[in-house]
Amino acid sequence: MPGMVTLRRREKIFSVPEGKNLERILRDLGILPDTVIVVQNGKIIPLDYWPKDGEEFELIDVISGG
Amino acid sequence: MRCTFCEKEAVLRLRHANLRLCPEHLVARVEKEAEKAIREFRMFTPEEKILVAVSGGKDSLGLWQILTKLGYHADGLYIDLGIAGYSERSQGFCEAFARERGLTLHVLRLKEELGAGLDEIAQVMHGEPCSHCGTIKRYLMNRAAVDGGYAALATGHNLDDEAATLLGNVLQWNLEYLARQYPVLPEGRKLARKVKPLIYVSEREMVAYCLISGIRYIYEECPHSVGARSLFLKRILNELEDEAPSTKISFVKGFLRAHHIFPKAEETELRDCPVCGMPTTSSGPCRFCRIRERMKHYAPA
Repeated sequence: MPGMVTLRRREKIFSVPEGKNLERILRDLGILPDTVIVVQNGKIIPLDYWPKDGEEFELIDVISGG
Repeated sequence: MRCTFCEKEAVLRLRHANLRLCPEHLVARVEKEAEKAIREFRMFTPEEKILVAVSGGKDSLGLWQILTKLGYHADGLYIDLGIAGYSERSQGFCEAFARERGLTLHVLRLKEELGAGLDEIAQVMHGEPCSHCGTIKRYLMNRAAVDGGYAALATGHNLDDEAATLLGNVLQWNLEYLARQYPVLPEGRKLARKVKPLIYVSEREMVAYCLISGIRYIYEECPHSVGARSLFLKRILNELEDEAPSTKISFVKGFLRAHHIFPKAEETELRDCPVCGMPTTSSGPCRFCRIRERMKHYAPA
């Protein structure tokens, strides 16, 4: 059983298996990597980072404006 | 992933600029790009007083921070649009930002100016709320800058905003709008100079800039912007950018180089609005005064 990684985007929560870097995880979720910034404990995490079991991240949406 | 400029770990890769940046160099790059645009388009000088229109969002508060750090004299202007809940929260971010940095923030309230907020205007007036909101904000921002004696009014429009506006204008071949779309619009009689120092800075860089600089901003979207065309255009541009990095910056820079080919509309004569005295192309009252007149008859439920 692979470990799980949690990503939170506004009210949505994604739970995905570990074993991929953040860019791959985002692409597999159908999210263009440059449209979000991945944050953990207030720090920006680079997209080439490989999350480990139990780690949690927040996805900050980049696009705004009406 | 190492920073392009130092030994530190990079947190952001900017494919369009072929850079990998640590937090310190990301902040330095954003400030440098803003300064570059200010000088290139001769937006203003260090001696001039600037009014920054702040919404509580990342771009405008980020811009205020950048201008202050670069040594410019920049005051803020917040317009309370009277959008239930959202406006109070947005104002809270602007006030906290100004208070923490000892900066001057002016506040204008739509309910005092028009007798109604945007929620009511959206119910009464035909057309897109964003279009009325744009009219109202442009009017109040201009008036505040002129009355306050500011040399220029700065807004937080970033590279993504400009690319989306440009795409919208090109798709409709709106030559008049294309001729007017420029990072600096000169001042005129009762018209403030309008400047966009973040024209070369992407939306993603601005989010990172705020996160790294500890700028707290309103993250929720305006409830009236749901389904806004600009968001749709940005999504399309982001798809293109993902396939071909630097699409957006090339699109905007190429347009700015070719800007002179778009003919300026015949100088429409500006008259003074008979109601408020501000300049307008209309033969009667200006659009702002027409909205005010319309809202006079609005009776809240």
